[in-house]
Amino acid sequence: MISAAPPVANVRGLWARSTLWERCTVLGAVALLVSLPFLFRLDGHQHADWLQFLGRFHPALVHLPIGMLVLLPLLEFAGNARHSLREAAAFVLHLALLTGAVTLFFGILLAYGSGVVGATVTRHMWGAIVLVIELVLCETVRPAWASGRLPRLYPSLLAVSLLTLGWTAHQGGSLTHGSDYLTRYMPHSLQRIFPSASAASDAAYVGSVYMQTIHPILDAKCVACHGSNKEQGGLRLDFYDLLMKGGSDGSVIAVRSPDQSLLLQRVTLSPSDRHFMPAEGRTPLSPTEIAALRAWVLAGASPTATSVPGISSNAEHADGPLQPVGDYTNLMGEIREMQRSEGAKLVAVSAKPSDGLILRTVDVASKFDDAQLAQFQRFAPFIVEAELGRTAVTDACFDTLGKFSNLRALHLEGTAITGRGLGKLTSLSQLSYLNLSGTKIATDALAPLKSMPNLRHIYLFDTPAEPAPEATDTTRRSTQ
Amino acid sequence: MKQHPLCTDCESPVTPLDLPVPAAVKQEWAAIETRRRFLGRSGKVLGWAALAGLLGEAGLRSVAAGADLTAHPQDHKIDLGLPHFAPRAKRAIYLFMSGGPSQVDLFDYKPNLASQFNKDMPDSVRGNQQLTGMTAGQAHFPVAPSHWPFRQHGQSGTWVSELLPYTGRMVDDLTIIKTINTDAINHEPAIMLMNTGNMNAGKPCLGAWLAYGLGSMNDNLPAFVVLQTKTNPKENNQPVSSRLWGSGFLSSEYAGVGLRSGADPVLYLADPAGVDREVRREMLDTVERINRKTLDEVGDPETNARIAQYEMAFRMQSSVPELIDLSKEPQSTWDLYGPDARQPGTFAYNCLLARRMAERGVRFTQIYKRGWDVHNDAVGMLPILCGETDRAAYALVTDLKRRGLLDDTLVIWAGEFGRTVYSQGGLSPDNYGRDHHPRCFTTWMAGGGTRQGVTHGETDDFSYNIVKDPVHVRDFNATILHCLGIDHNRFTFKFQGLDQKLTSPVEASVVQDLLA
Repeated sequence: MISAAPPVANVRGLWARSTLWERCTVLGAVALLVSLPFLFRLDGHQHADWLQFLGRFHPALVHLPIGMLVLLPLLEFAGNARHSLREAAAFVLHLALLTGAVTLFFGILLAYGSGVVGATVTRHMWGAIVLVIELVLCETVRPAWASGRLPRLYPSLLAVSLLTLGWTAHQGGSLTHGSDYLTRYMPHSLQRIFPSASAASDAAYVGSVYMQTIHPILDAKCVACHGSNKEQGGLRLDFYDLLMKGGSDGSVIAVRSPDQSLLLQRVTLSPSDRHFMPAEGRTPLSPTEIAALRAWVLAGASPTATSVPGISSNAEHADGPLQPVGDYTNLMGEIREMQRSEGAKLVAVSAKPSDGLILRTVDVASKFDDAQLAQFQRFAPFIVEAELGRTAVTDACFDTLGKFSNLRALHLEGTAITGRGLGKLTSLSQLSYLNLSGTKIATDALAPLKSMPNLRHIYLFDTPAEPAPEATDTTRRSTQ
Repeated sequence: MKQHPLCTDCESPVTPLDLPVPAAVKQEWAAIETRRRFLGRSGKVLGWAALAGLLGEAGLRSVAAGADLTAHPQDHKIDLGLPHFAPRAKRAIYLFMSGGPSQVDLFDYKPNLASQFNKDMPDSVRGNQQLTGMTAGQAHFPVAPSHWPFRQHGQSGTWVSELLPYTGRMVDDLTIIKTINTDAINHEPAIMLMNTGNMNAGKPCLGAWLAYGLGSMNDNLPAFVVLQTKTNPKENNQPVSSRLWGSGFLSSEYAGVGLRSGADPVLYLADPAGVDREVRREMLDTVERINRKTLDEVGDPETNARIAQYEMAFRMQSSVPELIDLSKEPQSTWDLYGPDARQPGTFAYNCLLARRMAERGVRFTQIYKRGWDVHNDAVGMLPILCGETDRAAYALVTDLKRRGLLDDTLVIWAGEFGRTVYSQGGLSPDNYGRDHHPRCFTTWMAGGGTRQGVTHGETDDFSYNIVKDPVHVRDFNATILHCLGIDHNRFTFKFQGLDQKLTSPVEASVVQDLLA
């Protein structure tokens, strides 16, 4: 049996036999590929639209080289039995390299054009560059392998390429579908073995200082780069558990020692410092925000604490945290249908579905009565504000309104209500604003409202129940 | 004889090459003169023109298609992703004090100035500031302390001039900003900057941005209404032009709808005799069909705006009479707003109308009051100006508050700049004038998620420079947008290759200290 020459020697032999032209081509291609990220430096800014226009073909093209690369080893195996397939494999490799290079270029245009940055983007890009370089090398050594001179080099290169492909493709998938796409619906038994980000949830912390003050700061200033979309430095700050877990530089919060906490160190550096956060010219944290973070860390960085010395609780003047409502987006069709038939509108409070809907009747106020209100009962859990001012509703409306469990503000000014049945509103634990101005409501009808701790603003202007004007202010503001 | 190069009756004909232009340009001109060059270039130019024509037409068509009127206004709103977050204010009322109210005499209390009477303001205070042509030539800048004493009001103990007794009563509801500052020292650029975020014309104003982004709450009234106050001929009235409520590069349906400051806020509101609603409707339907045909042929998005405006005018025929019918207002209204409110076109009447529009779902109402430009006779003019506005502004805020509307209505009181502490022209013991002052002036906000009873920022002893917490006009506008649930950095419109925004491309930030 003839022992194969050591691979290094074989490679040297290959090099020695190659022409200058071949050497230049291979080295030039590799140099060009490696220099791509420096030619198109991802600076976080958007560039010309046509770059993005071309770049957006990247996801459409990308599956072409993937398919061919996966096909390639199968063809090579099958080529042992049928020689024609081996010839086909050569062609498939050419095509895979060509389409791979084009896809890579479009991908870089996409990232550069759209201004996307982040660890996942960088990993995806370098993975693809390494992959194309490996394909160039495969292309270079395959003729020698086909003629039987280098039996191991090409197969091992191909195997490495396939591994690179898998890793790169996963990074790409994380970009488009989110990094927890594969693990989100993992059975619980597996989740214990592979702890994943998807398990994180802050639902339990509603009402805490963390949710009221700390999370909004991180959400506004940090999560754009340290969130589910981009996980810069392996760090995510969008959930408490992930915040405490830290990133690739280790933990970012040192409980009770703000000065040792990496997060606080990085936001308090000089803005010209390379490590200053937020990076890329985003809005720095304000002194108040930094002070709040510092106070919270000093107090133990608890997710549940409801008061922290040094952080002024907003509860005095604000109406407390907004209780999120369910997602109504899949009801949008029905909501539009309802608007067309009833004339009254259901308007989104904001772009976030969890902020709920406003029932707005101003266009049809004089015709909007109890029966029409009852029609909206099926959307009750999503309605946070009901504008029924100057409508034709009567005391019967309280039967329906009692079921609007997430209602925060109720306008009944200028209606015919007298207050009978007002007690049915006591089930509305979120209700903080009630406008009864210009109605026939009497003082004794208000008694049931005393048991509603969240009801901070009751307006009784121009009603029999209006308190005697004290000084110039006629508004009754009952604060409990 | 020396002749002007463009003179027509020269002895020898003058060519463009005789013009005083750079040699390189002349060479290029000379090169064009060969026939080959000329034809070659013409061909290329035609090619580019054709390409631009094709692209331009496609662009227009896509805009026209985007503004699909059959879509419900709400669907359109969701497309823009607005509001970005749950807003504290659903609507806003902007009391615009055109001319530049004197912060020195109204809000910015400087007790130490009395001792500086008629002394020259130190040069170090003014620095190298370029003044207006009206006082740049003055040899002296004599300090003119305010003629009126200040008093502390409310639980917050805010100092307010005796000129504003009613404003004093409501200080606990206001956020007073003493350190707003602007880039412009003359009326037109300053008032444009305040309203549109840019000194040059052609940008949409705050109200147009809001109408575009948030739309109307009431299908029967415009999203953005402008009320002008009748001018008082005794006052120094600076012009106020419709570009202050124009829509700039946004579709013109978002421009402010100006109501007249007379007994008839909208002319020809009633259909003429013999024309009933059906006939009017039929006519409008036909006009719309013609307009739609034009839209298909030309693809100009302004045609869409025209259709929308006809429809709005039709609906306003029924909604405006109800809006301006004050006969059902209770006596308490007149007690609060005062007798001026019964006269259409006064500031008090406009404030009352603004409250009625807030109740009826108008998104943004802007009331212009002119005359604050007191270059001379400040002592004579300011009491008149304050008399016209003080009680009405107080009445508006108080009325909104007692009716439960102040929780979600933002009220803004602002001018385009402040006034100098030094006197323009001569300073006598009992009178003075004040020039424009952009470096600091005072505005206030109330309701709509702003803090109550606070004063933000500090100025120096001469109310001339800012010592603490400056608020640029851009920051002010960013804060207003924030109250309405809009992140000013994300609220953009692509025009001339730039993602345009109200706060201009320059960095601006929301002033968190003003927010509850």
